[in-house]
Amino acid sequence: MNRSRPSATRRHFIVGSSVALGGALMGLNLGQVLAAAEAAREMLDSESPLVNIDSELARTLSAVADQIWPQDDTLGASELGVLAFMDQAAGGFMAGAWPTIQAGATDLEQRALAAGSAFHALAFDQQTELLESVQSTPFFGTVHFLVLLGCFAMPRYGGNRNQQGWAQIGFEQRHAWQPPFGHYDGAVGGEGGHGDA
Amino acid sequence: MVMPEGGASFATREPVDFVIIGSGAAGGVLARELSQAGFDVVVLEQGPWRTAVDFGHDELGHFFAGDLTGHPSWSDPQSFRADPSEEATVSGGGIPAALYARTVGGASVHFSGNYWRMRPVDFQERSLLGPMAGTGFSDWPITYEELEPYYTRVEHEVGVSGAVGPFDPPRSKPYPLPPMPVKGSGVLLEQGARALGLHPQPAPVAILSQPYRGRPPCGHCGFCLGFGCEMNAKSSTLVTMIPEAVATGRCEIRPLSTVYRIETGDDGRVSEVAYLDASGAQHAQKAKAVVVAANGAETPRLLLMSESASFPDGLANGSGLVGKYLMGNGHSVIHGYFEHELNDWKSIQVTRIVHDFYENDPARGFYGGGGLDGRPLVNATPILHALTEAGGGPPRWGRDFKRDVRHGFSRHMGILGSTTSVPLERNNISLDPAREDAHGRPLVRMTYRDHDDDLAMMKFLQDRGEEILDAAGATRTWREPVVPQRFHAHLLGTCRMGDDPATSVVDRYHRSHEVPNLFICDGSSLVSSGRGQPTLTIQALAFRAAEHIAGFARQGDI
Repeated sequence: MNRSRPSATRRHFIVGSSVALGGALMGLNLGQVLAAAEAAREMLDSESPLVNIDSELARTLSAVADQIWPQDDTLGASELGVLAFMDQAAGGFMAGAWPTIQAGATDLEQRALAAGSAFHALAFDQQTELLESVQSTPFFGTVHFLVLLGCFAMPRYGGNRNQQGWAQIGFEQRHAWQPPFGHYDGAVGGEGGHGDA
Repeated sequence: MVMPEGGASFATREPVDFVIIGSGAAGGVLARELSQAGFDVVVLEQGPWRTAVDFGHDELGHFFAGDLTGHPSWSDPQSFRADPSEEATVSGGGIPAALYARTVGGASVHFSGNYWRMRPVDFQERSLLGPMAGTGFSDWPITYEELEPYYTRVEHEVGVSGAVGPFDPPRSKPYPLPPMPVKGSGVLLEQGARALGLHPQPAPVAILSQPYRGRPPCGHCGFCLGFGCEMNAKSSTLVTMIPEAVATGRCEIRPLSTVYRIETGDDGRVSEVAYLDASGAQHAQKAKAVVVAANGAETPRLLLMSESASFPDGLANGSGLVGKYLMGNGHSVIHGYFEHELNDWKSIQVTRIVHDFYENDPARGFYGGGGLDGRPLVNATPILHALTEAGGGPPRWGRDFKRDVRHGFSRHMGILGSTTSVPLERNNISLDPAREDAHGRPLVRMTYRDHDDDLAMMKFLQDRGEEILDAAGATRTWREPVVPQRFHAHLLGTCRMGDDPATSVVDRYHRSHEVPNLFICDGSSLVSSGRGQPTLTIQALAFRAAEHIAGFARQGDI
C-alpha cells in the first residue's frame, strides 16, 4: 500500500483538558496563535487601535465581555485588554469562528434595540437579561471562551494586562516555588517526607 | 528546537540491527538498552526533538493549540464511535480520541508522572476470579515476580520518588528518591482518608525530589500535566533514556519521521520501514529487525496499514486481535473547595494516593478495582480553571461566576478515581474506512464504550472521594458526571501478549507470533489494564523485552 501523498496541510487539532469543557473547547492553530502574540505585541507597543474589529462590534463585545467577567473590586474584562486579545483572534486563530460572532452580535443588537437602545448603552441589569436569552447560542459560547482566554492567557497575546487577570485569581507566574505551598501543608510539617504510613 | 549533538547516522539503504518506531516511554527504553547492548539502532519519531528550552508556561500556545499533541507537519485527525453500529465522527476540534504527545520522549514528556506498580493480582485475575462471559478477561503469560526486577530497574534508571505503602507488592529495592513534598491536596486527602479508617500513602512519581544522575530536582512550578518540564526534573525518556542511547554512538534518533508502512519480504520477514519526513518526502530504512513502540493506537494502526499478500488482514494479525481489547482505565472526578488557600496550582499534580480499593471486592456487586489521588487536575492553570469552574456544564458568567473563579483557584482540589477497564473486543482501534489524513493514511478510528462494571467502579470511587472531601472539611463539593469516556490517554491492550497465537498478538517476549523479526512493545502489550497509571509497567516490560530481544539477536535467533 504505497499511498499517495497529498500536499501537507496545516494541522488543526488541539487538546484541551482531561475533562469535558462543554462547548468551550475550540480548535486552535499553533502557528496562528503565535502570530497573534506577535501582532498583539506590536499593537501594544504602538498603542494602535483595533484592526480586525470595527468600532460598532467593539462596543458590543466590550459590553458582553464585561457581563461575562464584570468589574468588581477588580478590573473587568474590557479593562484587562480582552478586546485587544479578541482583535488578534479575529484576524488569526479564531477567524473561522468570526462569522458566528458577527452574526450573534448583530442579533444581540437587534434584541437590544427592541428593548430601547444599543446593547452597550443599556443598563447593566438589562444587558444581563438580554444575554440570558442567548446564553445557549454558539455566539455566546465562543465569546465566553475568548473572554476567558483573554483574561488569563499570557499578556503577550494582548489581554491579561499587566498580569492583572492572574492577580485577580491569586495566580503568580513563577518558575520555582518552595513548600509549604498553602495553608494546610503545615498539618504534616510542610516537608511531606514519608508520611506516617 | 535545539537538536542535541552527537549520536550515530545511518544510511537508509543499509540494514541496521533494529528500527524502533516511537521514542516514548517504551521506545526510549528499548533504544537505550539495545544500543548499549552493542546494536545499531534507528529510532523513527513523528514529532520534533524538543528540549527543555522549548517548554514553558504558555497555556494558550502549548496547551490549547496542541503544540505537543498535534502532528507537527500536517492534519492527522481521528474518528470516534461508541459502538460498532454507529458511524464514526471526526471531532471538529477538541480532544483527540487517542491522546498522546508527538515529540521525542512521547507522552512521558507531557504526562504527570504517576508511577504505580501493578500488583500480583493484576497478572492473574482471570485465574483468581474466574471467567467473565463475553470479555477478553485473561491472565498474563508472565507474573509480577517475573517483572519485579524490571520495575526496580525503571525506578532506579529513570528516577522515581516515593515511599512504600501498606498495600504495595513485594519489591527488591526501595525507591531511589524520597517522596515529593506534600501539598494541600495531599494533606487533605490524607486527613480525610485517615478519618475514614483508610490508608493514604505518598504518591510514587517519576519526578525528582532530589538531584539525581545529573538532573536537578523539581522546582514546583506547577506546569506538569500537559506540559514539558523546563527543569528536566520530570523523568521522561527525553531526558533519561534518549541521551544515554545517543551517547553510545550507535543510536540515531530521527525526528519528524512519520512511519506509514512496514514492508514484508517474500520470506515473511519484515525488511524495511517506510516513512515520511517533515516535508512529506518518502524514505525507507532497511532493518534486520523492527520494534514497534508507537503506542496503543498508532501501533495497531501501522500494523493494519502494513497488510500484504502474506498478511492480508494486517501485519502480525493472524489472530485478528490487532487493535482489539483497547483499555483506557476509567476515570471519575469530584471537586472540592476549602476554607483556606491550598494553592494546589503549585508543584506536581499528585502527592498522596489511597489504594484501599485497589482489589476486586465481590461485595460491591461488580468487577473492578482502582485508586484515588488528590490533585488540582485541570485547575492547576488559570485558563482551564476558569473554563471548567462549572464542572463541564454550560458556561457560567457574571458576578457570581467571577466570585467563584476568584475564590476557587487557590482553594480547589480534586480527587481522581482511576479504575480497571474490562477488555472487550468491541473496544478497539481500527482503520477508518472512509477517511484519510493529508498523506493518505487511514485515520485512527476508535470504538469505545466503558463496560458497565467500569462505570460502576468509577461511580464507587467518586462516592469514596466525596466521603474523603467531606471528612477533610470541604466547604463545597461537586461531581463530574460519570459517563462513558470518549477519549483516552492510556492506550492499552491492542496487541496483547500471550502464549497462544490464536488469542494474542505477541508472545511473552514481545515477538509477534507470525513474524520472527518483528517485536511489539508498548501499552498495546498489556493483557489487563491495571488500576490506572500504566507507564511504569510499560517501561518495565520494555526493559524486560530489550533484554530478551538482545539475547535473541546475539544467538542469531531473529
